[in-house]
Formats: sequence, structure tokens, C-alpha cells
Amino acid sequence: MAKKEKKKKHNRRHFIDRSLRISIGLGLAGLGSFLIKKSISKEYVWQLDPEKCIQCGRCATSCVLTPSAVKCFHVYDMCGYCDLCGGYFRPETKKLTTAAENQLCPTSAIVRKFVEEPFFEYDIVEELCNGCGKCVKGCGAFGNGSLQLQVNHRLCVNCNECAIARDCPADAYQRVPMDDPYTFSGYRNKENKS
Amino acid sequence: MKRKLAIVFLLIIISLQIYNAFAIQRFPKPEFESGHTQPPTITPDPRSNALAILDVFVLVAALSIVSWLVVKKRSRKGVFWMSIFAVLYFGFFREGCVCSVGSLQNITLALFNPEYSIPITVIAFFILPIIYTLFFGRTFCAGVCPLGTLQDIFALRPMPIKSWLEKVLGIIPFIYLGLAVLYAATSTDFVICRYDPFIGFFRLDASFMMFMIGGIFLLIGVFIARPYCRFLCPYGALLNLVSRFSKKHITITPAECIQCRLCEDSCPFGAIDKPVLLKEKEERPIAVRRFVMLSIIIPLLILVGGFTGAQFHENLASVNSKVRLANELLNNTNYGETEQEAFEITAFNAAGQSKEELYNEAASIIRQFYYGGWILGGFIGLVFGLTLVSLSVFKYREDYTPNKGTCLSCARCVDYCPVLPENKVIIQK
Amino acid sequence: MNNNKQIFKVNIQLWKGIAIVAAAFSFIICFLIIANYLQINRLDPVNTEIINTLVERLSQNPNDEALKEEIRELDLLARKAYFTNQWQIRTGGYLLLIGVIIFLIAIQLINSAKKISPEVGEKDDNNLFLQKTARKWVSFGGIGLIIIALFFAFLTHNRLGETFTEAAFAENALNKEATSDETGSIQTPVETSVNETGQTDIEESTEQTTKTIKSSIADYPTAEMKENFPSFRGPGGNGIAYQKNIPVNWDGATRENILWKATVPLHGYNSPVIWGNKLFLSGANGSQRQVYCYDRNTGKLLWTANADNITGSPANAPKVTNDTGHSAPTVTTDGKKVFAIFSTGDVIAFDMNGKRVWAKNLGVPQNHYGYSSSLYVFKDKLIIQYDHRTESKVMALSVESGDIVWSTNRNGKISWASPVIVKTFDRVEILLLTDPFLASYDANTGEELWKIDCLYGEIGPSVAYADGIVYVTNEYASLVAIKIGDNPEKLWETYDYLSDVPSPVATDKYLFLATSYGVVVCHDAKTGDVLWEKEFNNGFYSSPILVEGKIYLLDKQGIMHIFKADKEYISLGEPKLGEKAVSTPAFANGRVYIRADKNLYCIGK
Repeated sequence: MAKKEKKKKHNRRHFIDRSLRISIGLGLAGLGSFLIKKSISKEYVWQLDPEKCIQCGRCATSCVLTPSAVKCFHVYDMCGYCDLCGGYFRPETKKLTTAAENQLCPTSAIVRKFVEEPFFEYDIVEELCNGCGKCVKGCGAFGNGSLQLQVNHRLCVNCNECAIARDCPADAYQRVPMDDPYTFSGYRNKENKS
Repeated sequence: MKRKLAIVFLLIIISLQIYNAFAIQRFPKPEFESGHTQPPTITPDPRSNALAILDVFVLVAALSIVSWLVVKKRSRKGVFWMSIFAVLYFGFFREGCVCSVGSLQNITLALFNPEYSIPITVIAFFILPIIYTLFFGRTFCAGVCPLGTLQDIFALRPMPIKSWLEKVLGIIPFIYLGLAVLYAATSTDFVICRYDPFIGFFRLDASFMMFMIGGIFLLIGVFIARPYCRFLCPYGALLNLVSRFSKKHITITPAECIQCRLCEDSCPFGAIDKPVLLKEKEERPIAVRRFVMLSIIIPLLILVGGFTGAQFHENLASVNSKVRLANELLNNTNYGETEQEAFEITAFNAAGQSKEELYNEAASIIRQFYYGGWILGGFIGLVFGLTLVSLSVFKYREDYTPNKGTCLSCARCVDYCPVLPENKVIIQK
Repeated sequence: MNNNKQIFKVNIQLWKGIAIVAAAFSFIICFLIIANYLQINRLDPVNTEIINTLVERLSQNPNDEALKEEIRELDLLARKAYFTNQWQIRTGGYLLLIGVIIFLIAIQLINSAKKISPEVGEKDDNNLFLQKTARKWVSFGGIGLIIIALFFAFLTHNRLGETFTEAAFAENALNKEATSDETGSIQTPVETSVNETGQTDIEESTEQTTKTIKSSIADYPTAEMKENFPSFRGPGGNGIAYQKNIPVNWDGATRENILWKATVPLHGYNSPVIWGNKLFLSGANGSQRQVYCYDRNTGKLLWTANADNITGSPANAPKVTNDTGHSAPTVTTDGKKVFAIFSTGDVIAFDMNGKRVWAKNLGVPQNHYGYSSSLYVFKDKLIIQYDHRTESKVMALSVESGDIVWSTNRNGKISWASPVIVKTFDRVEILLLTDPFLASYDANTGEELWKIDCLYGEIGPSVAYADGIVYVTNEYASLVAIKIGDNPEKLWETYDYLSDVPSPVATDKYLFLATSYGVVVCHDAKTGDVLWEKEFNNGFYSSPILVEGKIYLLDKQGIMHIFKADKEYISLGEPKLGEKAVSTPAFANGRVYIRADKNLYCIGK
């Protein structure tokens, strides 16, 4: 008799478990199908919008990586190849030489190369750049804005939520589709201007 | 030379003008006479999408293998090696993101924020472990989750903790879950990711603070096994609920329990339920009275919790950057900086949004938090209520069984059981 | 079995040793790393104050060679220290990792070699007692949590939400004051220019505007809207622009008076709109839908915003004809947000910086040419005409959230006309034309105010309104003047020249109508008599705009016909753009903006 009772109890428990299991499964299926409608097949990556950027310098310090995955990129298409480069020299530089006291970059990551009179080419050494954005500020203020901060996706570990995005005062970080991972300003649309 | 002069002249003019005008073609690109070709701007590609899809396949494979090892093979050794694999692949190779634990925030964000489209791989990372849990118990926790397996490897000298303490601490994951959902739903922050203590180890890079927290967790984990999984992990809280109704959960004994008590202290997570015999049953009137009280107290707890949460909403909302900005602007506090204008305020002024819009936005966020506070508080109240119920229920149990909710399916207890599948007993020397 | 045990036994001693060494090693490395971490902040080269002060000193006496040397040395030192430090931490990290791994392997091996030794002790595990203790502590925990939360809640007063709302209100009042001050000064010239044409009602309404803004009752179009050109055919869509000093001569070939020219990335038949220094328009093809914002002074493309990933948006855009396209409707703005709608039924709002505020799909419109009705903003509502085959309605969405504020069903057929929103005598009405009727809706509530049967066919042109009379027309039907009111009546009707694309424009005295086959005609507004008619070589798709007492009318070949809004045809100029154009131009003070086939032009001196 007791055994029968026990079995009955067991069966009831079994039944409750099973119906709950099915309802959880149905709930999951519903959630899944709802989400699938909103989904995209591509992954996102983080990128910063240079138009919004105010070069506060937090990209260098807030990234989970040291040195930061944010680097200065040189959009050569926009560069004026100036002798007096606002991104390379400190504002009050008198002699345009590569001496340390003239350089704006704290890690000396910009290489200045003579091309022809009076043009100079500037290259960024990625290994040295720490993404502080000082040169970007200088170039944006005095030059064409061809130096721009961007997340280097070879280095970026693509955190689920970017630690720099959290700290960015200008809200310049956003998720962009991974097949178009760079958002240079004034670059892509340059062709359209006459 | 002339050009140089012109540039200097221009510079003087421009520097007198607005400082932060960005990306203006002030100096046209030169045409080189020496035939110099301009180098391309190198833009390295991100990790390819194919790898993300591969991750999903590896996840399915790992879940299947671990479930098979746990439920069918009953092999602790196998699970251990799978944990090593999980730490290496999902931890050190993939460097953490996106993990199932964090994905729950993406899911919430996708549900509440119409602008966010969620990648399919993230949905897979969220749903697959739940489905497997529904069938086989928390095998995901046992040998797939990199956070859990890392702690598991460090669980060298586990000590039991008081079962009442375990119950009290077991509520924390639900509170954490509620908070994480609230913050993700209001697009404020992903708190789980932000305070993930172990991801820094996988990347070999994190802030000093997070390394310290992670290190402390691992050190504690040597003595109190898997502290994060048991007392914090919000995804674990979800799996805990789902696992209670799992179809084929691991059992300690392959056949019938012989009440040898050998497994009694084998579980480092305190997840083995001991037999509850009839004689311990409470007197009926007392039990009935308690049940009447509980059925009144649960709605009451939900109400009180909701009310408290709603009162607390401003503290919750102050984390939101928009609210913070509006507050600083309104009170002219400049983020506590005295020397220069705070970057946030500079950026706000540069962006051209009007203060009116910002205040309205902040007000609407606070309103969201007010309702969110009610819901969060009510949820926490419900969790407390249900915990009290589970502590008042008398469940008749003859055998030693794993608690389907808190059991992490690590298969340690299996090795302690002397019973063989054919109901023979190994006789120890 | 015995053999195995033997091996383990030997190993245990060895592994124990290894474990101890690894642990000690790890501890030392860990300690060093922490020390290094604490140092790194002092070595940050980005913020080396010393070098900066030295450089400052150098700029005062630029020939101090010794100082230069000092800076160079310091700089090198700082950079070296920075990178060495990073190297040390990285290497230390790897060493620590190796140490910990070895330690773990050792301990795990030792553990696995040990026999499982279950303890079966006598323990006091009275289930009831345990449950009771747990209950007690759970209750304590809950009460503690509530007390702490309430304590903090008590500290914050819970007034932040209201404070923000109040602050927003205060800001709003401040802004309004500022704009009403500005408009006071701007309006004088507008009034004089209007006087030339004798449009007394506009003069009245501008006067009213000044009055009503002061008493904070919104007029329509508001003074702020009149300063700008916020939608298709100007504020409210009635074909009138309130700008001044508009140029009358330019030449696309010699670039005379062409300030800038920019290629628009995606094609579209919609027209530009203007707010402040920003110009907006949209473009789309079958797969992409975009909104563009230009700096209207420099022609710089400030931002491009994609209308994608919208819930409910169809995977494939509906079929449209080539002369309608996927983005025929013109965008609109209220100075805070920009709104756009596309052939897919996707409505989207961006803020002025191109950040998406909300987006939704209204359901794919069943329309055999393609959806083409433009958007307008009334106060905080976005007005959308949504007449298509399966349903016909007009609705208002909240500009903040996109939620439907009101929606009114119309039993009409598909209509390609845009709404015209005007202030009549004491209310603001939305005038909407469809086959077979003209109807008016209350802009606040969406309630149908009146309705009159008057037209048929596939309706393209929107209406024109002046002095209590609405003028409606359609090809193969007629041109009708309707006196508005609760009992609308037809004043006159003619059949001579009818339009199928361009919308008419009206003053108190005259009605101007352009046709797609090239005839422009001027009617007496009150009687319908033809005052003059003139045939041009090219047809018109663009609608005429009345500005400064002149009509600006762009033909399909890009020639702008400028003539007096008067009872005789007096040409003021026929400047050529040199590119085909079908969009309606937008105006700013001293400027004309024309979207031609591929390019966007800014004309001015």
C-alpha cells in the first residue's frame, strides 16, 4: 500500500516536472523565434566615430588592453603633407626638426619623412602608439584632420561591452557591423565632393 | 618656401578661429613631381565571422561531450579534461567574449532596445546551454563555462560551509541577475561583463583592480569551491531554475542507493540532499500555520520589495551616464573637477544637443528606473518568499540525491559511490 | 595496481616539492608585478609634467642648447621607462601564468594520487533545525537589504526625475524667449516683401505669430519654421518660403553664383529641407536607405545615417517604378530631429547629429508606383498620409517615441499627394486629397473636420491654400476652388490646364499652376478666370514656390523660371543649372538649394 502511494506520488512529481519542462522549452522557443526576427547574421565590432571624438585621451587608459587597442590611423588620402604638421609638432615649435622637444607625440610614434620640397610624409608606428589622441587633436585643429583615432581590430579583443565606450565622454563608441569596421571621417565621401 | 609661408599664415588665422573644427580640407593633397606614391591606410580586419560560427559549433560539441560524460559515462576524469579544454579554448583562445553569462544582457538589450539587432551567435550562446540544462542538468557549468571551469581547477581544498549560509548566499545571484537585467534593459551598462573577475586572466590583461578581485576569488576558491558560480553568477541562477526540471540529471548512484553515507561529504558545493525521514516531519498544525503565513507573506514581500525598489530607483539610476551628465549640468558641479571643464561637458557642448532634450531624456530614464525599481524589488521579494517556502517544505526523501538546482554536475560524487550499475557493491579493502 | 601506487608514491614527494617551488615563484612574481603596477602611473609619458614645463621654458628662450639636451634626455628616459615597464609586466604575467600552471598540475597530481577517503562521521544534521536557522538568516538578510535600500533612498529624496522635468521646462521657456526675440527682428523684412504681392493674410498671420508666441500658443507654421525650410514645399507644405535676398541669376556651366556642388550618394526624387546650418535629404535604392545631412554653408556631408535593422521592415523593398523610386517622400525636421520615410513603410527619426532616436515600420504600403507622400511635423506630432490599396489613413506619430498619437481612417483610394497643414481661422487643419474627396483633419486630434467630393483619378499634386480657399487639381479631372468650412462649397471649376505632378501655389489674388507638359497658367483666385498662360519648352515636375513675391519654378532640364507673382507674366530670369532636375528647391536667406539628378547645388552670392 505504501509502495503504491509512493509510486503515485512519484508519478505526480514526474508529471509536474515534465509539464514544466515542456513549458520552459516552449518559452525558450518563443524567445528564440522573437529574437531571431531581430537578429543579424553578422557580428558587431566596436568602433569610434571621429566626428564625435573630442580627443580626451581616455582611449589610451580605459581599454582593457595595455597599450590600448585604439591607435592613431593616418588617412593619407586626406593629408596635405605639410611641412609644419599640427599633428607632429608642438604648437609653439620654432624649428621644424625631429628633435624631441618639438614632438607632440609622447611616445615618439610618428615618423616624419621628407618626400620632396616642401612635402613631408608622416607614418604612424603602431607598436609605439598608445592611442592618446594628442596628434589627432593637433591635426584636427590646424590641419586637414587626416590623423584619426580608430580601434585597431587586429588588437581589439571585442569585449561584449567596450570598456572605453563606457568611459567615453562623447558617446563616440558604437557597435558597427564587422564587414565595415572602420569609420573614418570625411574619407569615404571624399570622392563625392568636387 | 612660398607655400611654407602661406601655411604659417593660414595657421595663424585658423588658430584664431574655432579650435575644434574637424576634418576640413584646408590644405589640398599635393601632386608629387618626384613620382612618390602615397601609401595606403592599413585597416586590419577583425576576427572573422566564420570563427564566431565555429565557436558555436565548438560550444555544441563541448556541451554534448560533457553531457555524455556526466550522464552516460559518469566519468569525473573526462569532465576534468573537458574543463581544461574549456579553459584553454573558451578562455585563453577566444579571450572570453561573448560568453553565455554575458549574453543574457545582450538578450535583454535586444528585447528592450528596438535599435539593437543581436548577432545570431549570441542568441546561440544564450539558448544552447539552457536547452542542454533542460535535458541533462547543469553540464554547461560542469565543463564548458570558462569561468566555472577555471575556478573548478582551483578548487583544491574545498571545505563545507554551513547549509544555512549557503541558502542565504544563494539568493545573491538572483539579485545580481535582476540588477544586470535592469541595467541592460535601460541600456545603461553591462554590469556582468564589467565585473567579470576572470576575463582578465584569459586576456592576460586587465585593470589592476580587476586582477586583484579575480585573484581574491581564485584564492577563496581554493577553500570554498567555485565561489563565483555559487554565490554570484546570474546565468547560474537561470540554469539553477531550469535544471530543477531537467529530464536526465546526474545521479550519485548508478542503481539503487544503499544508504552507505560514503558520498555524504563528497560534494564540494554542498549540493547533496540528505535523506529526510518521516520522523523529522513537523507537527501538522505548526506546518499548516506556517503555510498560511507564507501564502500571505509572499504577496506582502513582493509589495514591500517593489516599494523599496521604487524608493531606491534614484540610486540605481545615478549609474546611468546620461542621468549623471544631466545632474552635473544642473548643479554645475563639473564632475568634481576644478582645473578645467570636464570632458563630458565639453563633449556635450560640442555635440549640439540642447539641455532641454538632455533633461527630458534623463527624466525619462529616471522614470524607466522607477518602474524598473518596482519590478526589480518585487522580483527580489518573490525570491526571498520562495526561498522561505522551500525552507518550510517538507520533502520526503529516502536516498542521497544531488540537489537538481544547485548541483553543478561535476561528477565528483560518482567516484564515492560503491554501487555498480548491476547493483553490486565494490568492497573496499 | 600495486606498481602504480608505487610510482605515485615516489612522485608525490617530487610533486610536493615542485608545488612548493612553483607557489613560491608565483608569489614573488606576483609581488613584483604589483610593485610594477603601482609604478606605471608615475611613468605615464602622456602626462609628464616635467617635460612640458621644460618645453615651455624653452619657448621663452629658444636658443638654450643645454635645455634642449635636457629635454631630449628626459624624453628618452621617460619613453624607455614606459615601454620597459610594459614589457616587464607582460613578461611577468607570462611567468606568473607558467608558475601557477605548474603549481596546479602538481597539486592536481597529488590529489589524484590520493585515495578517496570518505568520512562518515556522526553529525548533527537535524533537517528541521537547519531549515529553521536558514529561515532566520534569510529573513534577517531580507530585512537588512530593505533597511539599507530605504536608508539610501531616504538620503536621495527621490526628486531627481521631477527636477529634470522642471529643468527641461525652464530651458524650453528660455529657448522660446530667445527665438521670439530673434523672430521679432527678422519678420519686418518678410512683411514688407509680402506686402508687394498684397498677401494680407500672411501679413496678418505673421503679426499674429509674434503675438501668439508671446502668449505661448503655437501658431502654424511657427516663426521658427518660417525662418527655416523644414519640409517639402516649405513650412506646412503650402508652397511658400519666407526667406529674402534670393538670387535670380546663376549658371551651372560657368559656375557663376554656384557656391558648392556635392554628389548625393544614393538617388532619390525627394527635395532638400533646411534647418539652421544643416540641410537634409534622403536617398535609397532597393537595398539601402539613407538620410544625409550637409553643412549648407560648405557642402560638407556631415553625416550619413542608415535606415536599416528596423523591426518589421521587409527583406525586399516593394516594387516601384523608375520615376518614383524608393525615396520619393521628402524628409522633415523640427530642429531637434529629422524624420524620413521610405517605400518600404520604414519611418525613422534621427537627432540632428545623425543618431537614431526611433524607427518603425508602418506596414509595407500597397502602391503600384511607390509611396511618395512627404512628412510634416505639427507641434510634437509627425503627420503621415498613408493611403494605399489595402487601407487608407492619416496618422500622427509622437516625435519623441514614434508611438501613434492618433490615426484616422479615410475611405479613399491610393493617393500620392502630400498633406498641407495650414492655420485657418481658428484652428490648424491638415488638408488631404485623394480619389474622390478632399478632407480636412484637426491636427491636434485627427478628427475629420469636413470633407467634399471633388476629384478622381490617380492623384499626384497636393493642394494649395490661401485666404480660406483650397485649390485642388488633377490631370484628366479638373481644377476646383473650394471654400473651406464645416460646409465646404465649390467656388469655381475649370478644365483647361491640369497638372498631374507639380502642386499649385496660391496667393490671395492669384493661383499659379504648372503642368508636366510645360504650360504655366495664372488664374484669378476668386473667379477662376485665366489671367495669363505661357508655354515653355520643357515640362515641369518640380512644384512652384512663392518667395519674396516671386515664383521660382524649376523645369525638367534644370532651368529655373523666375517670374513675378502678378497678373501679368514678367520674367525675372531663367538661369540654367545644366543638369536635369525634378525636385523642388529649398530656400535660405540669400541661397537656393537644388537637388538635381545626381548633385546637390547651393546657389548664392
